[in-house]
Amino acid sequence: MGKSRDTTPSRKPKKKRDKAFDLWLKRGLHQMFDNVVNEPIPEELLKLIQEDREKQD
Amino acid sequence: MTASFHDQVIAILPKLRVQALALTRNRSVAEDLVQDTVCNALSAQDSFVMGTNFAAWMHRILRNRFISDLRKKREVANIDDTPQSLLSVSGRHEDRLALKELDAALARLPDDQREALVLGVLEGMSYQELADIAGCAVGTAKSRVFRARRQLEIWLIGEEDDVSGKTGTESASRMSSTRRKTRTARNTTRTAQQTA
Repeated sequence: MGKSRDTTPSRKPKKKRDKAFDLWLKRGLHQMFDNVVNEPIPEELLKLIQEDREKQD
Repeated sequence: MTASFHDQVIAILPKLRVQALALTRNRSVAEDLVQDTVCNALSAQDSFVMGTNFAAWMHRILRNRFISDLRKKREVANIDDTPQSLLSVSGRHEDRLALKELDAALARLPDDQREALVLGVLEGMSYQELADIAGCAVGTAKSRVFRARRQLEIWLIGEEDDVSGKTGTESASRMSSTRRKTRTARNTTRTAQQTA
């Protein structure tokens, strides 16, 4: 049943379009967020973590 | 050798940034949110049980902090600030336009749907992980990702049915203006389809 639904002519282009949209969405999100992710961590934040680490040791 | 608590905090910072930016949509507010999250996590480190899901624990702290901040001041998102700072990417004019449209569409999604979509698609988190972070059922997390993705598709490419729960008139008026603006996104999707 599932197979026949998948091979229905009207279903095929939609699935193909869904895949294309997913791919485009993923690329778009990466372009939007990757530069933020790759930015260096602020020194201030790292210092905060390091100070707490030393306090715990 | 297992990583120490502090090593784990440092390692998860990039992912927290993604979540914070997805929620706040403002770079400097997101940075503050990450910093506040780290402070909260350091204060509460005794309550974390080593060996349990550290990532979910941290993401949950960030989410709770965001909700608590949101309650305190009801206007966190400065969407006008976002496209310039968030979309400082090189590329073809058409690609940048498509990204701008994607960004605008993301801004219109409810916070919980945007967060689930970004963490799911970008960070590859499972529905179970998303549910752990949001403190909801797995089915709810799944539904959030589905609805967000579907809604973006409707806004950016155009579809007949609107899944946002808005009234027909509201959706129709939004869709007609969006359709005019989103030829670029549609063309870019076609390009993706051809190269897929």
